[in-house]
Amino acid sequence: MERIVEARKTGPQSKRGRIWAVSSGKGGVGKSFISTSLAISLTKLGHTVTIVDLDPSGANVHTTLGQKPADLNLRHWFDGEKSLQDLVTGTDLPRLSFIQGLWDNWCPIEFNREKARELGADLRQLRADIVILDLGPGASETQLEIFSAADERILVTTPEPTSIEKTYRFIESQICCKLRDSARPEAFATLLKTLQAHRARKQKKFFSFRQYLKSNEGFEIDHFEKLNETPLRLIVNMARSQANSDLGHSMKSVCNKFYDLNVDYVGSIDYDNAVWQSVKSGEPVLVAQPFTPLAGQFLAACKHLIAPEEIRAVG
Amino acid sequence: MMTAGRYNYYEILELPSSAAQHEVTTAYERARSTYCGENPAIYTIFSEQEARDLLNMIEEAYAVLGNKTLRTIYDQRLFANNNMPQDLSYDSILTASKSQLPEPKAEEIKPAYEIDEEFEKQIATTKEWSGEMLKKVREYKKISLETMSVRTKINQYYLNALEQSDPSGLPAAVFVRGYAVQVAKLLGLNDRAVADSYMTLYKSKAGK
Repeated sequence: MERIVEARKTGPQSKRGRIWAVSSGKGGVGKSFISTSLAISLTKLGHTVTIVDLDPSGANVHTTLGQKPADLNLRHWFDGEKSLQDLVTGTDLPRLSFIQGLWDNWCPIEFNREKARELGADLRQLRADIVILDLGPGASETQLEIFSAADERILVTTPEPTSIEKTYRFIESQICCKLRDSARPEAFATLLKTLQAHRARKQKKFFSFRQYLKSNEGFEIDHFEKLNETPLRLIVNMARSQANSDLGHSMKSVCNKFYDLNVDYVGSIDYDNAVWQSVKSGEPVLVAQPFTPLAGQFLAACKHLIAPEEIRAVG
Repeated sequence: MMTAGRYNYYEILELPSSAAQHEVTTAYERARSTYCGENPAIYTIFSEQEARDLLNMIEEAYAVLGNKTLRTIYDQRLFANNNMPQDLSYDSILTASKSQLPEPKAEEIKPAYEIDEEFEKQIATTKEWSGEMLKKVREYKKISLETMSVRTKINQYYLNALEQSDPSGLPAAVFVRGYAVQVAKLLGLNDRAVADSYMTLYKSKAGK
């Protein structure tokens, strides 16, 4: 019986885009802000949303939501004391709940790829239309495992070269992480050597991952077809000019030309002083100021991700 | 020419082959700003030289797809059903288009400058058209680089390099000739004579 109710609740959403993972190459680019703002915008569109704070360096989703830290947190799941659903904590906002991340970092937890897979399976059982995972920065093995398993993979960058650079490093890690599992070890080692030579600018020609995989043995040929089934989503946060905003198109093109990777540019989010002010005052900016251009940008991003065909005519 | 054999023009501009003409232009403008060398998006991925090579491919792709006549010829060859290998090179498409249509006439520009008889004479007698001379005429006719770029649809960066006769800032010679023709037309000069003379000087300077 419970399963039937659950199936009805998640309904057609379960088919596409139920788990959204938000990550970035560099820290401090606004992942938690983007995750919570997307979540708030989704609830306005009528979806129930649970945010899961998966930043291993410390939880702060509750802070961006302006909530008190919850009594239960992910540690209880890691210790096997509670199921993931038990950890879901409600908020003051309708249809929005969250799972508190780790914040007793003094006791280390055992988190490996296997555990990450287990977590991924449990996340799919959560009773919400959409589950948003607020991951930590960088491409550690466990983070990549969770990120790649998500239905929507959202990368956040800022217009700064430091962030752009690390975004590309993240993408490379993601491509290679999957490759390593499917490729023959010696073929993978040769690829790494070629990549290093290329980075050191010893070669005159462009490097193309897809061309390389096709012309060398020991790789799964349809690697990129699998990776490109759903494109990687890109959001440029803290845009201060049109040039900043156009950067997303440029990065999309670079990923296409260099990695043969299909990237979808969701859009840019303007830099807004109201954001850091709202974190201080403890009320999410989209709640304190729901009718600003900023809120509009998030709504547009959500619609882009949920029903792209509805807005394609305009774009 | 270049790597254009490996990718078709639609792939270079990252467009579906059904793209409307305005989408081609948008894609081209985005691509141009991405690979112009100052965009942070290519940081740590493409070197300056690689970006310039890509830019050349992009210019070539747009030279064809941005022009309705050339695009039609290109499409016919690209999507030809028979298994005969088709000649998709820029030169052959340009040649094919010339046999189809006569070249359109350049629009007249009204002189917004004061006529200097002496300089007019100098223009009329000039046989050797260097970039420097083109610049002099442009400045005499009070046309800014910006206006010229808008009217000829040639990147300002290239126009500047054209006036400096700087091969490192310009794409392959066949395009440079095209630019020289456009510029000469806009300046109201005999475009063929100017382009011929310019290219002779340009090639001797480039050491070819």
